[in-house]
Parts: sequence; structure tokens; C-alpha cells
Amino acid sequence: MANPSMVDPKIFESLQTKIDEDAEAREQIRAILQTLERQGKTTQSVLSRVHSTPAAHLSPVISSAEKSIIDEIASVKSLAEIASKSPYYKYNGMWSRDVQNVIFAILFCGWLGGMGTSDAGKLLTIEEVGKVLDVPVNLKDQDAFHISIEEYLQALITLIEELARLAINSVTLGDYQQPLQISQFVKDLHAGFQILNLKNDSLRRRSDSIKYNVKKIEDIVYDLSLRNLIPKAEAPSS
Amino acid sequence: MSNELPMMPAKRNHDGVEKESESRVSPFMPMFEVFRNELDEHHDRRERIIKASRDITAASKKIVRSLKNDIPSKIESETQERAAAMNKQFLSIAPDLTGINAWRYQRQISGGIQEYMEAISFETYLRQQTLITIEDARKTLPEGIDLTSDDYVLGIFDLVGELMRFAITTMATTGSLPRSKGSDGERDVLMDLRSLRTSFEALNTTSCGGTGLGKDVEKKMEVMKTCVEKVETAVYGMIIRGRERPKGWVPDLGNDRGAVESY
Repeated sequence: MANPSMVDPKIFESLQTKIDEDAEAREQIRAILQTLERQGKTTQSVLSRVHSTPAAHLSPVISSAEKSIIDEIASVKSLAEIASKSPYYKYNGMWSRDVQNVIFAILFCGWLGGMGTSDAGKLLTIEEVGKVLDVPVNLKDQDAFHISIEEYLQALITLIEELARLAINSVTLGDYQQPLQISQFVKDLHAGFQILNLKNDSLRRRSDSIKYNVKKIEDIVYDLSLRNLIPKAEAPSS
Repeated sequence: MSNELPMMPAKRNHDGVEKESESRVSPFMPMFEVFRNELDEHHDRRERIIKASRDITAASKKIVRSLKNDIPSKIESETQERAAAMNKQFLSIAPDLTGINAWRYQRQISGGIQEYMEAISFETYLRQQTLITIEDARKTLPEGIDLTSDDYVLGIFDLVGELMRFAITTMATTGSLPRSKGSDGERDVLMDLRSLRTSFEALNTTSCGGTGLGKDVEKKMEVMKTCVEKVETAVYGMIIRGRERPKGWVPDLGNDRGAVESY
């Protein structure tokens, strides 16, 4: 430049470098997320079959879901590797939704009796989900990829929504026991959510839906009991 | 409606199937208690940071308003007091912003940091007529407070607005643009504004399309250009009608000033 300048050109050069590096990091993450999103849809469509499959024939559906989840786990692993090069919270908004979907798939599959849980109706803890995904959970003293509490809670809300749907569909399939089990499980989760002090964020908004789902499931149980359709001999396992 | 614990003993039961279940505590309670504590801590940190960011913003604005070309000693000491208070604010939230949490609360702190950047870069300009580097700006912040390059850029955008006010006020009171003599020859503030504008315009931010930086840059770029053009117009006016103007005349800054201040 002909004129002397107040701006050291190096300043803007290094800013540009930084901007380009950030763009590159986002690009790498986005590439993995595309795969993860596609795999998520596959898993979702497999798990959808649960709604039309009698409990007795569930195991092929579960093992097929597990297979699909294994693909997702591999993607999460490469995501964790790439993402851990940058500060976790810098980009976590990019993958949070996809990771929530993976967690949900694992929770639902686990609840159905897959993912190494022996019985149906079990809730995998955040630590167990972390073990399945082979990533840390709720990291505080180290800046690396992990599963956050918020992501786990969001996945729990999705699980509740899914189970409300399953409660209806299990009745259609002639299974009158399942709604009772779901009812207890969801009520227990609801009790947990009630002690959280949620601020006005997305978790708050979505958790408002839990009580409607609790009610939906209670209505199903009510309909069944009104018609004497509840199996008497066996109490719901919990 | 569905509080499980304190309810009367006689309750609806589904044909006796769930007899004991109503009095039992959800097995997930211990897990949710852990979550509750974590979330409470998170919200507390977040609120502390939001409050500090607001205070830092207010203090920075006050510092910028009181900074003038020749800083009188009274204002100088006032400014130092404010800077010290601001430093305390930063220190108070530094523990909340360490390690992984530095980026977690970036959105909450970034407003304050940008405002601080504006103040510190204006002060540096008044003293040295140079643009403070990100490294030097970082050094003025207490340990544990990170200055991201995004906040640096966005703060510098706002500096342009301050330089505009400075240029126009000086013209109104002295009849000429503020000038400076550096090692590299004589410059005036308009030349400096133009070199800032050129640098900003050369910055390629198309890659940050959907990100926060992308949106902010777009907005601030327009405001920045308007600011430079205002000084250009004022200089033009000064040359055309300079000597006809009564002393103390202030050019109309228009309504855009509000926009400059709010972003």
C-alpha cells in the first residue's frame, strides 16, 4: 500500500487464517454428520417396525436395530476424533441433534431388551450409553468429545414419546401387558423430570410434553382396566 | 396431578394390579438428583456470566464515552478505576470460564468481551494510532478469560463507529481531522478508517455462512461502511463550506448512530 496504515496487515492475515481453519473444521464435522444422519434414519426405520411386531417376534427386529446402531457407533467414534481437535462447546450445536438420535436409538433398543440388557423395560443410564458408544459422558475437567446430560435427557424425552406410541400399538397387537409396564416406566421418568429446575430452554419446552404422554398412557391403561382387559395374574415387572 | 409421593392411601388402582406401585419412589430418582445438581450448577454459572457480561458492557461503554484525544488526568483516573472494576468482574467469572466451559458460555460472555474490545482498541488508537493486535488485547485480559478471534473482529467493527464519532467531534471543535505522526509518516483518521474498511472488505467470511460470526459480520459490515462514508461526507462538507460554518457547528449524525451503538 502506498499510504502508511494504522492496520498491521498481519492482523487481518491471521484473522483470515483462523476463519478458514474454523470453516475447515466445520466441514470435516459436517461430512461425518451426513453419514450419521443417514444411518440414524436407517436405525429409526428399523425401530419403527417394533410398533407392528408382536413381542414374540421382536428379536429379529432388535438384532437388526443393533446392527444398524453399530454403524452409528462407528460414526460417533470418528466424530469424537475429529471433534476433539476443537473445543467441545465450539461446535457441539452441530451434532447435538444427531447424537441425541443415536442415544435415543440405544435407549429404545435397550428398553426392548436389546443392547445386552437381559430383560425388556430397563433404562440404560448415561454411563451405560457412554460405554456402548465408547465415549466419555458429562466431562467437566477435560475438554473433549462426550455425551452431555442435556443430550441424554433430550433422548429420554424422545423415548417417552416413542413409548406412548408403543403403548397404543401394543394394544392393537393384542398385548395388554405392555401398556402397564410402559405406564410405570414413564411415570417413574416423569417423577425424575419433575425435580429438575429447567430454565427456559429447549429442554424445558420439550419436557412439557412428558405430562401429555403420561396422560395418554394412563388413558390407555384406563381403557383396558375398564374393559377388564388387564392380565390379572402377573404384576408389571419393574 | 401426578406427584407420586404424598397421596392419600386410598387411590385408584387398576384392578388391584398396581397395589404397591403408588407408594414406591421412582427408581430413577438418584440419577435425576445428580442431573438436577449438574443443571443447577450450569444455570448458576450461566447467570453469573450473563450478569458480569452486562456490567462489563456498561463499564466499557462509559470508558469509551469519556475517552478523548488528550486524556485529561481526571478522566484518566476515572477510566482506570472503571478498568479496575471491570478487571474484577472478569476475575470473578474466570473460574466459570475455565477449561471446557470457556466455549460453553461463549454466547453469554461474548457481548461483554466485544464491548471491552471496542473500548481497549479505541484507547489504543488514541494513544498510539494503531490497531491493537489480538495478542496484545488478550494480554490485557485477566488469566482465564479467552478472547476469541470472532469477538476480536466484531469488537474492531465497533471501533469504526467510535472513530467516526471521534473524527466528527474533532472536526466540529477544531475544524480539522485528527492527525497523527507515526514513524511511517503523517496520517489522518480518515486514512485510518479507510484502511480498516479495506481490511474488513478483504476478509472472506463466506465460509461462516450459517454461524454466528457470519450473521454478525454481515450486519456490522454495513454499519461500518456507513460510518466511513459519513466521515468522508463530513470532510467534503468541511472543504466545500468549511470557512462559512459558525464555530461549534456539529454535522448531523442522523439516526444511524443508534444502530452503531446497539451493535
